[in-house]
Amino acid sequence: MEFGFTEEQETLRKELYDFYARELPEDVTDVPAVSKELQDFWMDLQKKAGRKGYLTPGWSKETGGLGLGHMEAGVANEVEGYWGIRWPNGVGLQVCGPGLHLFGTEEQKKNFLPEISSGEKIWYECFTEPEAGTDEANQQTRAKKQGDKWIINGQKIYITGGYKPDLLLVEARTADTVPKHKGLTLFCFSAETPGVTVAALPCMGGYLANIFYFDDVMVGDEAVIGQINQGFYHVMETFEFERSNTYGAARARRDLHEMVQFCRETKKNGEPLIKNPEIRKALAKMAVDIEVLRLATWRTAWRFGERDRLGPLDFDLTGLFARLNGIAHSVVRLNILGVYGQLRRGSKYAKLSGDVERDWQYTRSMHYAGTLEAVKIVLAGRVLGLPRIPAKLNKTIMEALQEKK
Amino acid sequence: MNFELSEEQQMLKDSARGFLEKECTESVVRESEDSDSGYSPELWKKAAELGWLGIAYPEKYGGSGMDILDMAILYEEMGRALFPSPHLSTVVLGGLTILDAGSEEQKNSILPRISKGEMLLSLAVTEPEAIWNGKGWLPEGVTMPVVAQGDDYILSGTKLFVHDAHSADYLIVAAATGKENKITLFLVEAHSPGITYTILRTSAGDKRQSEIIFDDVKVPGKNIIGRLHDGWAPLEKILKIGAVLLSAQLVGSAEKAMELAIDHAKTRIQFDMPIGIHNWVQEYCIMAFADVQGTRNLVYEAAWMLGKDIPCDLEVAMAKARANEACIDAHWQAHQVLAGIGFCTQDGLLPLHTKRGKVYQLYLGDTDHHMEKIAQQLEKWPDLEKPHGKPLGIFDVPEDLQEPNWDVWKNQIEVRGKLW
Ligand SMILES: Cc1cc2nc3c(=O)[nH]c(=O)nc-3n(C[C@H](O)[C@H](O)[C@H](O)COP(=O)(O)OP(=O)(O)OC[C@H]3O[C@@H](n4cnc5c(N)ncnc54)[C@H](O)[C@@H]3O)c2cc1C
Ligand SMILES: Cc1cc2nc3c(=O)[nH]c(=O)nc-3n(C[C@H](O)[C@H](O)[C@H](O)COP(=O)(O)OP(=O)(O)OC[C@H]3O[C@@H](n4cnc5c(N)ncnc54)[C@H](O)[C@@H]3O)c2cc1C
Repeated sequence: MEFGFTEEQETLRKELYDFYARELPEDVTDVPAVSKELQDFWMDLQKKAGRKGYLTPGWSKETGGLGLGHMEAGVANEVEGYWGIRWPNGVGLQVCGPGLHLFGTEEQKKNFLPEISSGEKIWYECFTEPEAGTDEANQQTRAKKQGDKWIINGQKIYITGGYKPDLLLVEARTADTVPKHKGLTLFCFSAETPGVTVAALPCMGGYLANIFYFDDVMVGDEAVIGQINQGFYHVMETFEFERSNTYGAARARRDLHEMVQFCRETKKNGEPLIKNPEIRKALAKMAVDIEVLRLATWRTAWRFGERDRLGPLDFDLTGLFARLNGIAHSVVRLNILGVYGQLRRGSKYAKLSGDVERDWQYTRSMHYAGTLEAVKIVLAGRVLGLPRIPAKLNKTIMEALQEKK
Repeated sequence: MNFELSEEQQMLKDSARGFLEKECTESVVRESEDSDSGYSPELWKKAAELGWLGIAYPEKYGGSGMDILDMAILYEEMGRALFPSPHLSTVVLGGLTILDAGSEEQKNSILPRISKGEMLLSLAVTEPEAIWNGKGWLPEGVTMPVVAQGDDYILSGTKLFVHDAHSADYLIVAAATGKENKITLFLVEAHSPGITYTILRTSAGDKRQSEIIFDDVKVPGKNIIGRLHDGWAPLEKILKIGAVLLSAQLVGSAEKAMELAIDHAKTRIQFDMPIGIHNWVQEYCIMAFADVQGTRNLVYEAAWMLGKDIPCDLEVAMAKARANEACIDAHWQAHQVLAGIGFCTQDGLLPLHTKRGKVYQLYLGDTDHHMEKIAQQLEKWPDLEKPHGKPLGIFDVPEDLQEPNWDVWKNQIEVRGKLW
């Protein structure tokens, strides 16, 4: 057991820290929509970091990484978390790229990975549908084979992204199977493919999501990622990778640090806020929660990196702790600011640049990559082996409910 | 970062589990409640034979030189099995203090005897007045007066909530010897004239805690541990080690309770199906699992840092604060799942875990104590080098742009949308 980092890892951390310290202006915000300049700034920084291999230190040099390990990738994510950097292509870097590593053909890897690691391209992940949220296997989007082409029709919703997308990773039904999740396949194609349209779906806290429509979108076999009808399993495994992202705890710790500093500098009834017993306790509690998350994430990252030796991930609690912390801490931080807590970025009197208010709005949804309940379903079933209602009874239950009405 | 036990650690864990499952049965635990010492002398002998009593001492004192992390692994197993023993009092709070601050003579005469199971120690710090002031484990809370008399010292006063005192051979007593919270540690023969013990009846149901009244108790000067007035440094150190090992013990206990809950959820049938099929019941099991796993990492981290002498006041306080809350929470979750059967005290392990858990939650710093320690560490965090969010320059949001500007975004994304 070892809770420290190697000298090389610390050197990498310092190098990345200094790089971003130089590149980031003081007032930077990661809401991409506020101005074109801001979008350009983040895209430029992404490319600059990409050219140095900083976006993907864990990837091989051929694919544009630094050829380091999974733990070094974790170190890089921590630095990004500390500086509050959300890459325009976060989805590509954290979901699609790793997915391609796991399931892509050699050609797909050669085509796509270097453009992700260099920061050039933006990817969206298009899994969720109006009828397929937590029940992701209930995909209505269909991909039908016609000759040597696939024809895709359907609609996707809540698809994250505020930058112009280049590529889409799309889950679609390719077979009408029982159970439902055995007939799904992943596709990857250009967002410019004829038949693709998009509508903006603005969300709380300035979060940008989208609706995608696919009308007779035609793609070839080269667009298939992984095995046909194995898409559901591929998505699940890809999310495992995403959960090992150390970004969240590092960012939370930085947020806490800012709050601690604020509480030292701000007085209430003539005394610094930090001397108030309730606030002291609230800050201490957040510190503990964040450490729990940090170590749980590193455990997942370590375990994921060792899966060749130790087998598939045994359990992951990052998803649970990240959601619980995110939901609770944003409220605590806002409440510490009292009446000022409601003031948004740009308003007169806004504290901490309104970041606390925005985080609070933004964390009213911790549903990305599965709701809190979805995380618990996985823990209950797959990890603890608790019983569940067999899926084949769902229809019977539904019918019984309708009868009762 | 590496979360895998070493081969030796895994062996220690497996052998401890095997030994305790066989020897430390539920009836042994229950019998200890009725015994006057609160532990089983036979088991203590066997623990000595396994090398558990000298685990942390160098070989020259009859030990095997393992470090704090190894001990944490053992403590987890002891907590899981509810091992009734004065291990923490004797081997850790007593013996490690001697090893850290004692004279060579003290080490030679005490540590080998502890290792062989021939001597018991107990640490007496907390005083009644200090408790309500939240200073039970702080130097300010130690006010017990000492009078020098020739080469001897005379101690008077009361110590409270002392674990394993009346069965001990020697007490280590913290007393106030100077101004500004200067304290000294005295090695006191436990049956010296002038000492009286009153057993305190606690939630655990055993007889392991007492009040000690010192009425002009004479202690020879050579029995000072370390130097006069310098008692806080070794005491602070051992309290940290003790808090982390207690946390490990709590994790083990919580894990056992969690397993009881999961087993019950799978096998208990109500409404023609296992109760574990319901989301509510699953929730209890999941949260207990998260309590255990989340805390374990913190405990190992703090133990690892202590073993490597890396400053870790923050990590130690986080480990005990979290163990205090999460492990007790896991016990509670298990009670929800076990319902009626978990409430019955004649049979079944859960009430034993719950009741002892409460005692260890309150020992060596309750949650308030450690939360305050955490807050003190946060206060000391340096100012941020480069603060975020001083609104200036191009990234400042103009006043008329309170909402993100969707139009900018729409122009950026030149797609044929249904909306535009
Ligand atoms: C900010 C944000 C970003 C997103 N980004 C993306 C993206 O980039 N790509 C993408 O594909 N998707 C994305 N999503 C979609 C996200 O994955 C879904 O919102 C999520 O899977 C939940 O689906 P839903 O919103 O339809 O809720 P529903 O599935 O309708 O759930 C409603 C409620 O019921 C609960 N529930 C559902 N089923 C069960 C059950 N069996 N047992 C117990 N409780 C249950 C849920 O937990 C939830 O509380 C994003 C969502 C958000 C909010
Ligand atoms: C102190 C005490 C005094 C009592 N006094 C009396 C008395 O005087 N007379 C008397 O007749 N009884 C008495 N009882 C019994 C009491 O009514 C039962 O303990 C209670 O009904 C629960 O039953 P159980 O213990 O068998 O738990 P179980 O029914 O086995 O329940 C175990 C767990 O599963 C949950 N659960 C069960 N079914 C479902 C479901 N469908 N959905 C979701 N969750 C579920 C429960 O809520 C609980 O968390 C007493 C119990 C106690 C502890």
